[in-house]
Order: sequence, then C-alpha cells, then structure tokens
Amino acid sequence: MLGYCARVVVGGLLPFLFPLPSVVAQSQPAGSKADPEALEFFEKRVRPILANRCYPCHGPDTGQGQAGLRLDSLSGMLQGGRSGPAVVPGKPRKSLFILAVNHDTFVQMPPKTKLPRAEVRVLTEWVRAGALWPDAEAPVVQRSARSGDPVEFTEEEKSFWAFQPVVDPEVPEVENGRWAQNPLDRFVLSQLEARALSPAPAADPRTLIRRATIDLHGLPPTPEEETAFLADDSTDAFGRVVERLLASPRYGERWGRHWLDVARYADSNGMDDNLTYADAWRYRDYVIAAFNKDTPYDQFVREQLAGDLLTTWADEERAESLVATGFLMIGPKMLAEDDPVKQQMDFVDEQLDTTGRAFMGLTMGCARCHDHKFDPLRMADYYSLAGIFKSTTTMVSYRVDSKWNATALDSRDRDERLSKLEQELDEHDDVLVNGNMEQMSAEEREGHEKSLEAVKEEYAAIPKAMAVTEGNVEDLPIFLRGNHLTPGKLVRRGFPQVLAAGVQKPVSDTQSGRLELAGWLTSPEHPLTARVMANRIWKWHFGEGVVRSPDNFGRLGERPDNQPLLDWLAVRFVASGWSVKAMHRLIMRSSTYQMSTMAHPLALEIDPENRLLWRRDRRRMEAEVIRDSLLAVSGQLDLTMGGTLLPQRNFVNLSGKGKARDPALYDSKRRSVYLPVLRSALYEVFQSFDFPEPAVTSGQRSSTTVASQALFMMNSRLVAEASERLAGELASHTGWDDEQRIAQAYERVLLRPPSAKETQEWLDFLAEYNRVQPGESEEAHSQHQFAWQGLCRVLLSSNEFVYVE
Amino acid sequence: MQSPAKPLSRPTRMSRRGLLQQMGAGFGGLALAALLADECPAAGTNPLAVRAPHFAPRAKRVIMLYMFGGPSHIDSFDPKPILTRDSGKPLPFDAPRVVSFPQKMGNLVGSPFQFQRHGESGAWVSDQFPYLASVVDDLTIIRSMHCSNPRHGGAVLEWHTGSDTFIRPSMGSWITYGLGSENQNLPGYITICQALSQGGVNNYASAFLPAAYQGTPLGHGEIEAKDAKIPFIGEGMARARKQRLELDMLRQMGERQLETVGPDSELEGRIASFELAFRMQAEAPEAQDLSSESEATHRLYGLDDPATENFGRQCLLARRFSERGVRFVQCNSNGWDHHKKLKENMTKRCRSIDKPIAGLIRDLKARGLLDETLVVWGGEFGRTPTVEGADGRDHNPHGFTMWLAGGGVKPGLTYGRTDDYGYYAVENKVHFHDLHATILYLLGLGHEKLTYRYAGRDFRLTDIHGEVVHGILA
Repeated sequence: MLGYCARVVVGGLLPFLFPLPSVVAQSQPAGSKADPEALEFFEKRVRPILANRCYPCHGPDTGQGQAGLRLDSLSGMLQGGRSGPAVVPGKPRKSLFILAVNHDTFVQMPPKTKLPRAEVRVLTEWVRAGALWPDAEAPVVQRSARSGDPVEFTEEEKSFWAFQPVVDPEVPEVENGRWAQNPLDRFVLSQLEARALSPAPAADPRTLIRRATIDLHGLPPTPEEETAFLADDSTDAFGRVVERLLASPRYGERWGRHWLDVARYADSNGMDDNLTYADAWRYRDYVIAAFNKDTPYDQFVREQLAGDLLTTWADEERAESLVATGFLMIGPKMLAEDDPVKQQMDFVDEQLDTTGRAFMGLTMGCARCHDHKFDPLRMADYYSLAGIFKSTTTMVSYRVDSKWNATALDSRDRDERLSKLEQELDEHDDVLVNGNMEQMSAEEREGHEKSLEAVKEEYAAIPKAMAVTEGNVEDLPIFLRGNHLTPGKLVRRGFPQVLAAGVQKPVSDTQSGRLELAGWLTSPEHPLTARVMANRIWKWHFGEGVVRSPDNFGRLGERPDNQPLLDWLAVRFVASGWSVKAMHRLIMRSSTYQMSTMAHPLALEIDPENRLLWRRDRRRMEAEVIRDSLLAVSGQLDLTMGGTLLPQRNFVNLSGKGKARDPALYDSKRRSVYLPVLRSALYEVFQSFDFPEPAVTSGQRSSTTVASQALFMMNSRLVAEASERLAGELASHTGWDDEQRIAQAYERVLLRPPSAKETQEWLDFLAEYNRVQPGESEEAHSQHQFAWQGLCRVLLSSNEFVYVE
Repeated sequence: MQSPAKPLSRPTRMSRRGLLQQMGAGFGGLALAALLADECPAAGTNPLAVRAPHFAPRAKRVIMLYMFGGPSHIDSFDPKPILTRDSGKPLPFDAPRVVSFPQKMGNLVGSPFQFQRHGESGAWVSDQFPYLASVVDDLTIIRSMHCSNPRHGGAVLEWHTGSDTFIRPSMGSWITYGLGSENQNLPGYITICQALSQGGVNNYASAFLPAAYQGTPLGHGEIEAKDAKIPFIGEGMARARKQRLELDMLRQMGERQLETVGPDSELEGRIASFELAFRMQAEAPEAQDLSSESEATHRLYGLDDPATENFGRQCLLARRFSERGVRFVQCNSNGWDHHKKLKENMTKRCRSIDKPIAGLIRDLKARGLLDETLVVWGGEFGRTPTVEGADGRDHNPHGFTMWLAGGGVKPGLTYGRTDDYGYYAVENKVHFHDLHATILYLLGLGHEKLTYRYAGRDFRLTDIHGEVVHGILA
C-alpha cells in the first residue's frame, strides 16, 4: 500500500495558510474556459502527465483514490484526500500536489520515482497560472472521510470500565475474617477464597522490616534498626516502624524517585545536541520535598501543570509553585529542527502525551495524526488539549538550537532582568549558530561571542526555575494527518470528550487553560486521576499494579485484576485528602502486604502470575537501590540532600569530547537520586540495571538479568570499593576472630547470623583464597585482606542481598 | 496491512508455570547444575537465546560501517559529468524547501576527484578509493538513498532507529530482539567507538525493548579503537582463579537459598548469569586480542599504517566478533561532515577507511563468511551539488549513496539513480525505512511482523513505512 503516508515530521517554513475548500472553490478564476492557449497547455502538457503518472492510483478507476485523493478533476484536487486539499490555484508552493512531485521531505509522489524536471515544471506552471481545468462540468467526487472528521462514540466505547465513575464498593464478606487486618485484605481474600486458595503465611519479622525499609527508603535497615524491631513486642511494633520510616527524609528520596520515573526526569535534553538542563534539579528537589511533606496529590498535580498560575509575587511559596511546572519543561526536545511550527508542535506533543500518561493513563499522543485506533480519543480531543499547551510558553524561541524558558525565583525585578537576558542570549546564540559565519568579520563574531558569554554569566548567577508561563492564547485547528501544513477545522481548547462531555466548562479566553485542566483532573469525580495514582502506589509497593499497565488504562492496557480493590483504594485516597502517606499506612498495615513470598504448588498451578495476590512477589532491587545499599552497608553513603552535582552551566552541549561520559560526574557518595541523569548518556550502572529511559513516562521498570550485570558485580569499582571498605571495617576490630568477623559481615549485609555450616565454608574459602598466587598488581602481604574482600564481594553480590523478599 | 502483526511474546519474563513445565516440578540444585552446563541456559529466561527467524534468512549477521557526518556521494560513488560541466553555474532548479544553511548556499561545483569504472561490473568509483575499487564486484551500490531530515540529529537517529523525532529502539536492538545471539559469551550487539554526539547512546540503545538488547559500546567516538574495550571485564589470570572461588561460594549461597524458598526462575537466571559473565570474561579478551592474527592479516586491514590503523582495527574486530556469532557489529568512522575544505578532508577520511574495508571484504570472503554476513556502508545523508561557503558541501538527505555486500544481495549491481546533478534521488528510490525493511528481510525477519507492544501499541523498526527493495536481492 502506497499513498500519502504523510509523516508527522514536516520540514519547512511555510505558514499554514491553506484556505478551506469552499474558499478555494470560489477562488477559481471565472471564465477559465475562454483561454484557448491555457486550454491547449492543459490538454497537451498537463493532462497527459496526470494520466500517465497519477491516474493509476488517483484516477477514474480507483474509486475514492488512494488516500481518498482523486486527481482526475479539479474538484477532486481542490477537495483533496485524507491530507486535505491537494492544490491551491495560483500557489504552487502551498499546494501539496506540487510539494509531492518535488519530492519534499515529507511527501513524495510518485513514491519511488521522481518525475523528470520538465514535467515538474509543467505542473508547477499550471498551478501557478490558476490550475485551469477545461471541463467545468466535471463530476464532483464525494469527499472521502478525512482525519479529524467528527465520529460519534459507540456504547461500547462509552461504557469502558476506566471511564466510569469510581463507586465506593461494598467490602466483601470473607470466611477467614481473622486474617484481615483492614478492609483491603477482605477484597484480596474474597478473590482467593473464590478460587479456594489461601494467602501465604506472614513474613518473618526480619523479612518484614527489610521489605518495609527498602520499600519506603530504598535502603536496607541497619542491624540496630532490625534489633530494635525484633525486641519490640508491642502489638503495633510494625506500625511504629512504618511511622518512623515515613517521618524520615529518606522516604521522599525514594518515593520522589518513583515519581521522577513518571515525570521522565533528566538533567539534559538528550536529543541531537545534548544540552544541560542546569536548573532541572530544582524540580527534582521539589518532588522529593513534596513526598516528604505529604503534599496532597491533587495539589501536587495542580502545581505541576499550573503552578505559575496559582501564585503571585507576594506568595511565600511562590518558588515552589514555579519550580513544579518543571514537569512540563524537562522533556526531551529536538532542537535541530528547521521548521519552527513543527518544532513547537513536537514540544506540545511531548507535554500533552506525558500529561495524558502520567495523570490519566491515556496514550493521548496516539491521536495526533489520526483518531486513536483503540480508545475513544479523537483528533479533536488531541488538538483541543494541544491548544492549551500551544498557548503556554515553553521556549524563548523556536529555531535550530532554540533555548527554553526560565523564571527568576527571588523577585519581579530579577525576573524582568532575566527575560531581557534570555532575549539577548537568544539573539547572539542565533547569530552564532544559524548565521553565516564566513560572511561575518572576525570582530563581529568575537563581539557576539563576548556578549553571549557575558549574558550567560549573568544569567547563570540568577536563581531560577525551568518553568512555563502563559503564552499567546489561541485555539488550534486539527492538523490533518498530524501535519501543520494541512490545517482542518478549528477546535476549542478543552478536554477529551469521552470523559469531559457534560462537565466541560468553557476554557478561559485570556488564559491557556492549564488551570482548568488541572482543576478538571483533580476533581474528585474524575474517573481516572485517583485510580491511576492509587494504582501506581500499589504498584510501587507490590511490584505489579492492580492494573498491570500503570501508564495505560486504555483498551490495549490491562484490565484491573481486582477492580473493587482498586476503586476502594481510589475512594480512600480522595477521602484522605489525597494523602500518599495515608495510602502507605493503609497498604502496609495489611495482611496482604505482610505475607511471605512462600510458594504453594496449587496456587502456582492456578495463578502462576500471582494476580490474585496469594503471596508477595520477590523483587530485585532497582539500580539506585543497589548502588545506595552498597554504599550504605559499607559505611560510605553521604546523606546530604538537595542541590546539583552537574558541574556545567545551562545550555552546555554534553555531546562530544566525552563530557557526558566523564566518570567524575558520578564520583559522589550521595544518594543515587542526586546523581545527574543525562539523557542519551546514562550512567552505566543505571543503564545496566534497567533504569528507565528518561525520555518517556515510565510507571513500570523492567527487571532483566543479563551477564553484564554480573560483570558489574564482579569487576566494577563501585562493588570493589564497597567490598574493600567493608573488609577494612571488619579487619579494624582487632579483638575479633575470623568467626566473629564472618558473623558481623552477615549481620551487616544480610541481617542474619550465618549457620555453623556457612561459617565453616567461609573459613575454608579464606584459607583456599590465601593459597592462590598473588597477581602482578597485588602485593603478597595484602593477600589476607583480599580474601576478606572476596568474602564481602560475594555477600554483596548474592541473591539474598540483591533481592527483596 | 494496517492491523498490527501479532507481537512476539516478551522473552525476559517467564511465568513460573512455564518454568515448572519445562523443568519439572522437582526443580532444585540438580536441575540448576544441568541448566548451568547448558550452552543456552533456561531458554525461557535468557533474552539473548537464539530465536528462529520468520522465514529462511539470507544472512545471519550484520556489520555496519557507519560514516558519521554524511559522506559526499558525488565525490565517491555517484559521478556527475553534467555537474562538472556546469560547475560555477547556479542550480538550474529550485533548492529544496528546507536547506540547512541557506545563506551559505552557492553555485554548482563539480567533484575535485576523478572517476573510473572498475571490475567486471564496471561500477564507478572515485580515485579516492583504490582498494575498494578492487572489490567493487562484491558491492551492491544504491545511488538512490534518501531520508527525511536534513540535520545530523534527526538523520542519524532516523538511520539508527527509524525515527527522527522520538526515542525508539535501534536497528541492532530490534535485530538482536528478533534473533537472539549466537554466542552467549559475548554481547549480541556491539558498537565500536561510536560518537556520543547527535543522539549518542540513543543510536544504539534499546529504548523500550528490554535492556538486554541494547548495544554494548566499546569505547566511544573520542577514543582510539586500540583502547576500546567491553566494559567491566576483569584482568589477569590470578584474579580469575580467585573469582572462580568467589563464584563457587556465590552459587552455593544461591542454591541454598533456592532450597529454602523453592523454585524461582529469576533467582536461577541470576545465578546462571554469573557463570555466563565468567565465561564472557574468558572469551572477550581473546576476541579483542588482535595479536593472534597473522602479519599478513594486519597488513590486509592496514594496521601497519597510522593512517588506516584505527579503522582497520575496528574492521578486524568486527570480523572476529562476527565469526564468533555476534549478531550486529557497528564500526564507526567519524568526521564526514565536510562543510569546509571538502577535497582535503575527504581525501583524509577516504584514505582512513579504504584499505581496511577492502581488507574486511576480502577476508570475510576468504573465510567463507561473506555469504552469511551482510556488510552495510553509509552515513546519515549525502551532500549538496552546490558549494557551501568557499569549498564545502551542505547536507543532502534527498539523494545519496549507500552500499551493501555479502549475505543475500546482488553483487556488482548499481541500483537507483539521482538527477544529473546528484541532488535528488529520482529512480528506484530507497528510503531508510526501505533499507531497514530489506536488512530485516535478509535476516529472515518480516519488518511488519517484528513488533513489540509498548504503551498500548505494537511498535516496529519501520513504524508504518518501509518496503523491501527486491531489486537488490540476489
């Protein structure tokens, strides 16, 4: 199948000025039949080309024609096909037909062979002269459906589970009521009992405190914390552990990082040129603080989408609100784009798609070029949302190597100064990047470079946030096939109709509509927002969500394994004032959370994927947890919070010269959440342990097991240093014998004593290790120490350490 | 044709049920030992296990010779006498709607190099490639390539991933995902000295495919091939003996834990991965050690000449990895972006790759590997027939040359055509998407069938595009 597969990607500088078909029809010059010379030109020169080259796919025998386009009458050309009108009489450079025969970058016809230049000239000339077609009575072709045409929702679409209001479900009756610590357990148990299954026994206390601590802090408990818990025989001992963990700032570092996966957080742009986002860290710190403070989730959503509109200069928390909108700013941006309109629409698309997935679990981006293939999301929905983001300022300019927007944090005066600096920076940079350097005198160039440097220096000194502001408020037309060169019907800014019909209030004429969008998303009646977040929280606790596709609640996503449970959680979430910490308490103080991972043959047979939750799933530590735990148990972890470890200023290109691969970037012993996240040059430790691609929302990390991870444990500097430090620490206790040291190593790393058999095996290991000839780089007298390092390395590499029961 | 093809099942995760069925219910230490002895452990859990292609393949593996920056086709494989004749005159037709540096665009300029026909096929090659000219009968030259983006960032990404706008899995990742790897002791997809700029890691990353399919970089664009090594490989035999002791203990701990907690494919897979890593550690240094190659081989690849040593080393490594079963190897020659001093710069670059590539092709052929190895040469675009500034050429995505050799393509063929000036491909046009479809086809993979479901959609390397170029198939 050939035809116009008009790419989303459109190069070029044409303004989108295609008139609507009716207007075009009127513009056809009257009396076209009267000009015999033009008639002859058409019959002798133009029609044969059309007949030879175009009719096979767009001619009389092709029904509606490929892609709905017929080229055997003027009306067919004016009406056009799925990509809109093909010809604008008198305007060859605005006619898709002419762009196509010129083999423009985005549309090329005929597809595999370019017409000879002479033929292209004839067609161009014909369109320029007004596209005269002698046969005035040509039959009007029935216009084929065009992308963006309105489509009614079917009953099936409207009744899809995720679009129904959340209803507080009745708590089910269960037989084994004693197992249930809270109603949540009854939802789980009733499903198990229905299949004649019973839940796994409770986890032992050691497992439980390790699970809870890694879960909430991303770090293992210390032996002291473990001992204290084991010694606490009050009935609410575990509840106290949960409270202690929630009160610690380590909690926000762990759960903030979960959100940063969703927010596709990174410290660099990561497309063609990899420019530093030197202020992105403020957004990261905002997220960590929001989790630590238990900022209500509805407020958290509002701040990220419209923080700039929620605050004034008088507001003490203004900085926070501004920084929050970094959510919309930190996405990847293709800066090497010659077409400014396309560049802006690509950024809009990125913001829109991220917003859709993050808060609603909807893949809105799919509706950019055509109605969503699976969900009732129409192009009109896409462009009504796109209008909101198009009316928002993200960038200082749209050009090759454009620069993004920032807002000063301390005062209005400073912000005004910053805006001036941004303009100057943009101007000089534009000249240096896109100007003709060879025609520029050396002085002129130096002048620009010097000015740019001075501006950048002053710019860098101003505390500021990557933040959006309001832009030129406008509605957008539907871009047929996603192509801004072919605009269709104008659509009012608003929200997806399948969800918002009936509740949609008119969007402001003077504001972008982000505030209304945030308000609509966080209304307690929204069917998706609370469900999606409750599901994420569940997923981050259990490894799998109740809906196992956390970023997609649409038709191609998964159905909830236990919808009453999900809805019950969503209702409680809203009722708690959108408190994430309240959800932790609810979930962790349940028998469901506290089950062991113990397998049961019958349950394995009936439900191998554990969708019914008959036990807890064993999980591998994530990349950051592995690194942080290695540093923690070897006593190296630096708990300093906040700030940036990126040495570069804004807009520094990290491509080339190995800057992004500089190991010094990751030398710090700070928690992993503070290490720079450089797109297209991720820290190799993160990369090998399934850190998510920071270009897109990721509510679900994969967990792979590959040899390169084993090589990392065996040979990396990080593991070597941790082993060395731990072995050194063990050796420093001169009063201990080897057995005591082994016991201490086990306590530190695995939080349990070794068995007698294990101790003996390690003593044998140490002896044998000492017998191996030292390598060239090793000194014989340190043999003993190397053996202990070997022991530590094995413990740190073991499944028992790296997996969470 | 629009409906998504059925996706392959995810190879990384295996249900416990599947594992039990495969291993028998009494899985424990004994079965694990058997599993470790197997060359391809736990096919269900090993994402790099060999997978059958969709249909009979013509090639088993790929060596991509990537010319970063966009080498000029009209100064290498696509001679334009009319351009030479009209040198100095203005372009006789409209420039494309989008030009990277319109202010610097000058008049037509002919090639400073001489062209001659070579071999029995009589293919045209510029005088900058004397060695390649001697193997031209083994090449399939496509002169009608085109792509969608006039900027490096977009075009480089489009070549490597099929998309110039979004982050997508790279071609090598798709291929490794589709076919697995034939050698479990080496990475399935290796790229040597690839540039970190213009998309960097995105060009060989796996994006939403599991991390196991990402390219393993040996060094990067800023370091010499002789210093580029597989990451995290340990050194020294004494260390290896100690490591063996450590791994024995690790395995013992793992097995003991399994006895307590019962079967778990992931835990078992992780124990196995250490054994794989240990074997990889033994094999990788050997695979990267060129000292075992004969003097004659070193000369064949130009390792004896500083001008050709760097790329020669890459090509020789590529052959060694290929013969060891690595599915996709990319060699990277940087510095083909000749906006200035085209003649001088091009001369240097051509010299640096000419002998090594010819050596590679001869060597593959002599070893009987060329038939089953697909070699692909090219960059992200070609260059304009008009001069840029005083003595350069600008980017040209509308028409340029790439060539293939080996597995399943017609040797000695010159396919497609650009216009008289070399600006636009005009006949038998081949888009990147088409070449991607063709490369997959040669490997036995249908480009519409090789899909992966992510975020509610079945993705393909060729997205909604691509047609196999049947005209170049043997």
